[in-house]
Amino acid sequence: MPDMFTVASKEFSDIVRGRRFLILVIVFGLVMTAAVATTYLTGIQAAGQPGRVGLPRGFLGAAGNNLATMVGYFAAIMGLALGVDAISGEREKGTLKITLAQPVFRDTLINGKFLAALFAISLATLIASLVEIGSSVLVLGITPTGEDVARLMLFLLFSILFAMTYYGIAAFLSTVSKRTTQSVIIGVVIWAVFTFVIPVVATLVAFVLMPMRFTPGQSQEEMERFAEELRKRTAIMETINSVTPNHHFTRIANYILQAYAGMMSPGAGQPVVRTVSIIESLVSAGPNILVLTLTTVLAFIASYMLFTRQEVR
Amino acid sequence: MDYVIEANDLTKVYKSEGKTVLAVDHLNLTVEKGSIFGLLGPNGAGKTTFIMMLTGLTLPTSGTAKVLGYDIVKESLQIRRKVGLLPEGFGFYDHLTAQQNLKYVAALNDIPKNEREKRVDEALTTVGLHEVKDRKFGAFSRGMRQRLAIAQVLIKNPELLIFDEPTVGVDPEGARAFRDLVLRLNKEGKTVMLSTHLLFEVGPLCGSVAIMNRGRFVVQGNVKELIQKLMAEEGYRIRVEGRGNLGALTDGLRELKSVKEVKLEGGVVFVNATSDVRVEVGKMASTYGVEVSTLDLQEPSLEDLFMKYYKSEGIAHA
Repeated sequence: MPDMFTVASKEFSDIVRGRRFLILVIVFGLVMTAAVATTYLTGIQAAGQPGRVGLPRGFLGAAGNNLATMVGYFAAIMGLALGVDAISGEREKGTLKITLAQPVFRDTLINGKFLAALFAISLATLIASLVEIGSSVLVLGITPTGEDVARLMLFLLFSILFAMTYYGIAAFLSTVSKRTTQSVIIGVVIWAVFTFVIPVVATLVAFVLMPMRFTPGQSQEEMERFAEELRKRTAIMETINSVTPNHHFTRIANYILQAYAGMMSPGAGQPVVRTVSIIESLVSAGPNILVLTLTTVLAFIASYMLFTRQEVR
Repeated sequence: MDYVIEANDLTKVYKSEGKTVLAVDHLNLTVEKGSIFGLLGPNGAGKTTFIMMLTGLTLPTSGTAKVLGYDIVKESLQIRRKVGLLPEGFGFYDHLTAQQNLKYVAALNDIPKNEREKRVDEALTTVGLHEVKDRKFGAFSRGMRQRLAIAQVLIKNPELLIFDEPTVGVDPEGARAFRDLVLRLNKEGKTVMLSTHLLFEVGPLCGSVAIMNRGRFVVQGNVKELIQKLMAEEGYRIRVEGRGNLGALTDGLRELKSVKEVKLEGGVVFVNATSDVRVEVGKMASTYGVEVSTLDLQEPSLEDLFMKYYKSEGIAHA
């Protein structure tokens, strides 16, 4: 009986030889390079101005937000782009009938597709990161430390997980939908809702539920009340946002990429910072990693169960 | 007797958009080993669903069936290992060449790596595609695509070959090549099941048939026996051509007990009788001094058979 690697090797070959993959890798590489370069150049510019400090929390810490945001958009799109026609495309082209007419279990087919997507996304991420690190070192003259590289690798690992979450969602849609256009439309809508709509809704709901009054010259007591309101508002926003994989990825990225935990010292105006170890970052990101992993696994299981029960007509 | 297919009360009910569709209705069928079996019927009769169930691609709602001795539900993988299926509405990967597509099929069939190339080459040669083996499937014509689909059936050297609408969209030359291939495979001992609504193209190959309509077999059996049965029911049609007093012959034939109807049209006498009365016709022609040049029994075709049962069942539902 053929194993899933037979399917995976063919699928992987199809993906990486395709124009779609090449475009994704190029765009991904540019996105990552742009994210780091923008941060670096902004830091350099800020350092040249009186009263501003360039790259105050380490290179990766400063780049983290940009990198997380841009990869947050792009890794999701990559996952969607590779998954939206995983099953529906085969069904439309009639290749599913030929494949299933062979002595192949359906789970072998879907497992192979997932494995191929994992390899392809990993390859794209690896190429893009090599381009990004290489261009940072050669063109911008940035020399990342060993810890920077380690954190970047971890970030890439979780970017792959995030892309796979969206791949899982897209593959599920592709299994449910009769046509690829249908799964593309639904996939894009889901991505837009998770990326743009829910954060806006979360902010609106938090503002309505927790209105805040801040006036300059407040007493210490009022300041504490304000801080508490701010904490509650943030909690509401985080609760609502936590239904999206994007939120969990952003949290993971922030924990992993920010090597320094910064905190404003009230009154002094100077940041008080302490170094956070990689292990500490991972522990902090643990719940988000768990949610993202579970989402991916659930999307995979749903696709798997549906596909193995579908009629071939 | 060895049967490669044994179906008992096989039934499939689909639920589609809130409606229940009885696609296959309690089918019972046996197909002999080494035969060419025709599954005939109009579009939407349930042929494809029946085939999908036999190959384990769709689960039956009720009933049982065995293909090559394997249960279609519990042992579908073994069935697909030994049965070559050309499904209707198939496709291959456009960006892969004919050879690459077949190599993938060979890999899915677990054919050892060192044998794959040979098997692929043989299959491509058999269907006449070897010269274009490096051409991408996307650039293939309809006929070439169909031949590649036949090649993927051959690659696993199956005991039973099932072709679902194999000649749809194929030019007459391609259809003839397909018929020759089927006959050759059958001579090699393979059992072939042909599912089609194009009776004239592959019907004549079939030793036995089942005519399907609205999910049921309206008639099934050996083609010769079915035609005999039809002739017994509808009458034996005899055509007589010759020179002499054909009018007198026509009148004389009307006197025969087994003759139901006699017509003289354009110098040809058409006789419809309850039995084969050619000997009697010959004798009577001699009596009336008619010099007979043609004395043919007009056997009903498979198409006549199909139309008779098809009409009796009404139009198939879509």
